[in-house]
Amino acid sequence: MPPAASQRASSTSSPSGKGELAELKTQLRQLAGSRAPGVEDVKRELYKKVISYMTIGIDVSPLFSEMVMCSATSDVVLKKMCYLYVGNYARVHPDLALLTINFLQKDCQDEYPMIRGLALRSLCSLRVQNLVEYLVGPLRSGLKDVHGYVRTVAVLGVLKLYHIAPIACTDNDFPAMLKQLMLHDGDPQVMANCLCALQEILTQEGSNIEEAGLDKDFFTRKPIIYHFLNRIKDFNEWAQCLVLELVAKYVPEDPNETFDIMNLLEDRLQHANSAVVLATIKVFLNLTMSMADVHQQVYERIKAPLMTLVSSGSAEQSYAVLCHLHLLVMRAPILFSSDYKHFYCRYSDPSYIKKLKLEMLTAVANENNTYEIVTELSEYAANVDVAIARESIRAVGKIALQQYDVNAIVDRLLQFLEMEKDYVTAETLVLVKDLLRKYPQWSQDCIAVVGNVSSKHVQESKAKVALLWMLGEYALDMPDAPYVLEGFVESWTDEDSPEVRLELLTAVAKCFFRRAPETQRILGEALAAALADAHQDVHDRGLFYYRLLQHGVESAERVINPPKQAVSVFADMQNSEIKDRIFDEFNTLAVVYQQPSYMFLDKEYRGPFEFSDDASTNASATESSETMLAGQRVDASDNDLLLSASEKEYTKGVVATNGSSSYVAPSSSTMDGMGVLAAPTQTSFPAVGFAIDDLLGLSLHTTPPEPAPAPPPLVLNAKPVLNPAAFQQKWRQLPVASTQEYTLTPQAVANLTGPQALLRHMQAQLIHCIASGGQAPNFKFFFFAQKSDASAGLGYFLVECIVNVTARKCTSNYKTDESNMLESFASIFQSAILKFGS
Amino acid sequence: MAGAASALFLLDMKGRVLIWRDYRGDVSAGQVEKFFSKLIEREGDPSSHDPVVFDDGVTFMFVQYNNVYVLTAARQNCNAASMLLFLHRVIDVFKHYFEELEEESLRDNFVVVYELLDEIMDFGYPQYTEAKILSEFIKTDAYRMEVTQRPPMAVTNAVSWRSEGIRYKKNEVFLDVVESVNILVNSNGQVVRSDVVGALKMRTYLSGMPECKLGLNDRVLLEAQGRATKGKAIDLDDIKFHQCVRLARFENDRTISFIPPDGAFDLMTYRLSTQVKPLIWVEAQVERHSRSRVEYTVKARSQFKERSTATNVEIELPVSSDATTPTVRTSMGSAVYAPEREALLWKIKSFPGGKDYMLRAQFHLPSITAEESTPEKHPPIRVKFEIPYFTVSGIQVRYLKIIEKSGYQALPWVRYITTAGEYELRMI
Repeated sequence: MPPAASQRASSTSSPSGKGELAELKTQLRQLAGSRAPGVEDVKRELYKKVISYMTIGIDVSPLFSEMVMCSATSDVVLKKMCYLYVGNYARVHPDLALLTINFLQKDCQDEYPMIRGLALRSLCSLRVQNLVEYLVGPLRSGLKDVHGYVRTVAVLGVLKLYHIAPIACTDNDFPAMLKQLMLHDGDPQVMANCLCALQEILTQEGSNIEEAGLDKDFFTRKPIIYHFLNRIKDFNEWAQCLVLELVAKYVPEDPNETFDIMNLLEDRLQHANSAVVLATIKVFLNLTMSMADVHQQVYERIKAPLMTLVSSGSAEQSYAVLCHLHLLVMRAPILFSSDYKHFYCRYSDPSYIKKLKLEMLTAVANENNTYEIVTELSEYAANVDVAIARESIRAVGKIALQQYDVNAIVDRLLQFLEMEKDYVTAETLVLVKDLLRKYPQWSQDCIAVVGNVSSKHVQESKAKVALLWMLGEYALDMPDAPYVLEGFVESWTDEDSPEVRLELLTAVAKCFFRRAPETQRILGEALAAALADAHQDVHDRGLFYYRLLQHGVESAERVINPPKQAVSVFADMQNSEIKDRIFDEFNTLAVVYQQPSYMFLDKEYRGPFEFSDDASTNASATESSETMLAGQRVDASDNDLLLSASEKEYTKGVVATNGSSSYVAPSSSTMDGMGVLAAPTQTSFPAVGFAIDDLLGLSLHTTPPEPAPAPPPLVLNAKPVLNPAAFQQKWRQLPVASTQEYTLTPQAVANLTGPQALLRHMQAQLIHCIASGGQAPNFKFFFFAQKSDASAGLGYFLVECIVNVTARKCTSNYKTDESNMLESFASIFQSAILKFGS
Repeated sequence: MAGAASALFLLDMKGRVLIWRDYRGDVSAGQVEKFFSKLIEREGDPSSHDPVVFDDGVTFMFVQYNNVYVLTAARQNCNAASMLLFLHRVIDVFKHYFEELEEESLRDNFVVVYELLDEIMDFGYPQYTEAKILSEFIKTDAYRMEVTQRPPMAVTNAVSWRSEGIRYKKNEVFLDVVESVNILVNSNGQVVRSDVVGALKMRTYLSGMPECKLGLNDRVLLEAQGRATKGKAIDLDDIKFHQCVRLARFENDRTISFIPPDGAFDLMTYRLSTQVKPLIWVEAQVERHSRSRVEYTVKARSQFKERSTATNVEIELPVSSDATTPTVRTSMGSAVYAPEREALLWKIKSFPGGKDYMLRAQFHLPSITAEESTPEKHPPIRVKFEIPYFTVSGIQVRYLKIIEKSGYQALPWVRYITTAGEYELRMI
């Protein structure tokens, strides 16, 4: 407090700092040795004054020695004030802190446990490096104190010591003592604090406490987990959260054990403390990760407690719970689709809650509830505050893009335009534009209404861009398009946003290709204005158009106004890799921020649980962790391979065993190297090549990339043999050779009610499935195929194929030991999967 | 990793630090003040902001109470749900100590505040947050002289919510069954959603370590015991218990058994998501006769049995913010215009079941509207009421047994009441 707060002291009306302090100083001096009756009361008043100065930010450190001198007292409150004072100034005056050691040490041996505890806590909180030697003795006796209160304080004292001087802490065998206490102390709070302290010490980088029998896996071993589970009811609510957090990391040996743990913890879901309930939910989710059907039952089971927590308690608590519910809803919208009414907003909900609810309403929309949800959303668009109205309109749009009941939704959107509120119009225009990009067939209805929107009501640049795009694109359907554009061109100089000017230029050009006679004049004006524009991009585009048109109108049209293809899928904002990471950090801030913790935490606060030991080389990290854990983890990761809802990046050296959070937080170097976060799907070389071609606008149809010397035609083995273990091994050994993404036909999606249908289809194409899993809309398959003339154990192609039914997207990761044939195989695979359902 | 808080702050409405306790030494008060006053400046009202904010490596979580913000700062990836709940517990502790938590009470009692902050959290990990327990070793000024230097047994024994040696001359238990009805009716008059949140609120004045057993007309329990249910039993959707209830016991045989804390607490809460008929139905017709005159015709109907009576009914009818000169007539109760709430408040002291009451009101509006008119908000009609001796769910306390080893007789008092929670009817 002192440095920052003392600055403020000068601004607040300080009680004439110096004089008062001097007076206090003399008064304290006089009292120091006095044993007169009633002296305690006087002291208390003086101390109170000092503390109150300290609280309002006046630097009272000059009184340090006097305060310490007066500290010889038996009055608890006086002592507390003194400890507080000392704790505040010790760090900035380490030399003075030495003065306090004596009396603090003495108090640590007081006959009253309360005083022993308080003194020990203050002693450990001094945070002065060179006083560490005085800490060890009192801590050691504190840990052995007969009274639980002192032991609880001492345990955390050890942790404090570790933060100042890790070596001193380990050299004195404190971790081993904590371990003993944790296992054998009768006081639950002592045990809980030991758990905190040891876990935190373990997460510190380079903590070396193996000789105490504590290694990184110590807490995820069965005896420890059972030790805490059996006592969970003795702990207070906060400590229960800690224990549950620990259990969530445990990987049970077999399903029976999983069920035992879940039965034991079932009643925790009825705890009034929302943190306990959430922690229990995390345990349930993590334990059942490899059992798809049970996992789904868990979702059903936790729904009711979650909904109750949301609707009771304070807004802040419901927010925290809603963030978690949000995550679950996003993972499995289908499971929540009948509970959509719980996500309706109340008038008095704060906007941060409304926002989350809107997102959830969007996510759970399906054929059955779309009408009601959209009706409800429309009420928000008209009713509540502007920010939420905007969000609700966007939500309506998102639902429309999910193609449920589009007809009704388009009507709604058009009604919004009729409300003639600027912000409603603005949002709606943006949405109508997106809708038209996806469903050009709706143009008739939309354009008729959009044509009626007065450009005066459109103020926001995003909305203007949308309107201009439609004017350009649908100039033929809107009789007055050229004249509206003319109005825009005339006010060119008043337009602040370069995006709008860019779009205006393009819109005028497009309009010109469609209705040349009416537009020619304004195109000239627009080009002139663009050439004179101060913004570089606008200027360049103007020049570019001008020269294109000079070169020939037809070729200009080919560039500026090529035939459009409907957009099938809008880019997903967040890739599933990140979503999985967040899910692994359930019940932490990661869920609230919707970001994995490595994205927001400072490096030193992450801890090695989230860090790989050897992040520099991914390959070696994979190997080391694999050799170390191979025995115990193969089974688990086997299950995981098949059932995790979305892909994990195996190339990154992640042995993704559910529950153990040994994920790699990519250091910046690895992130650059892989670009996983930036480019979620196209990581491999051929794919990148396409992307660049596309970027340059060189249509793929005109210049197909020349394949390298044509490889001999690939013939697949009709009956390849590969057992799961061998597949597993190959999958681990081989790098991802290629990643490709296909859009499935609607028929394919319709046929994909379960994994079986696709399996049979692929088998007919000589591509065999070794494992599949997931529930709609996400399926995951592992396929393999073998070259017909390959020798045994060679010539395999392995494919991990993730299908998202709602997005009609299919992402395939190829691995092979026959890389020169990969391309042929990929094309076989592609044609096979695209033929599915036809 | 669980994640510990770095410091706990008590701030005033302007975001200035009143009192703070540094637990880990990695966040400074200056940092918090700078951040928070920026937030207040930007948002105007931080209560509309997410309660979890991130700034420069530090996570701030805050809760507003009266004119005080209670805030934790953390650098670790801590557990948001548990921290926010912890803040509320802190508020409860302060309320217990100072009657009301506000800036003044904190300033007046800063020594006690420091003492409390020292015990509720250690090195960023929550420790004891039961006000009852804390108050046994941290006393306010009035009791200072009797301060014990021994932490109470409860701090270290298994029953952390009750300490031994409590004595009352008269042993009594008050049990209130409170159900609040949340309802949302859309502008077409359809009930969009409805649920009932119930709570069993207890106040215990019992000596010693009493064992309590509560029997409800819980369908699962009655059926398990093979009793005829005769439509009297109820299904509770989701039940949450106070930490004193032995949850394992409940899981096994649905008995609610517990050693209660001393004083007031919520023994259990539950939720029913069954469709509830709106207990009080309000229909409002708004007619604009000209640009400057608007007329409301409102009908309120009680849709519960005649033998029950709703009391303290308050119907809040939203009115345009620039309305003037109201004239109101009601067939029952009184109505006042409350410009500060932009509403007409119709209060009916007693509203028996199966009755209809009417209200007519007329307002004048300025004939000229402001040029820069803000978009109209259209808040819903909101209703408040209490119906004593009545529960929507039909929950009944069949017995409440109190057994203490000294063998005293304790008197249980049970009361039922239904209140309006979030009771909203949207206007057309």
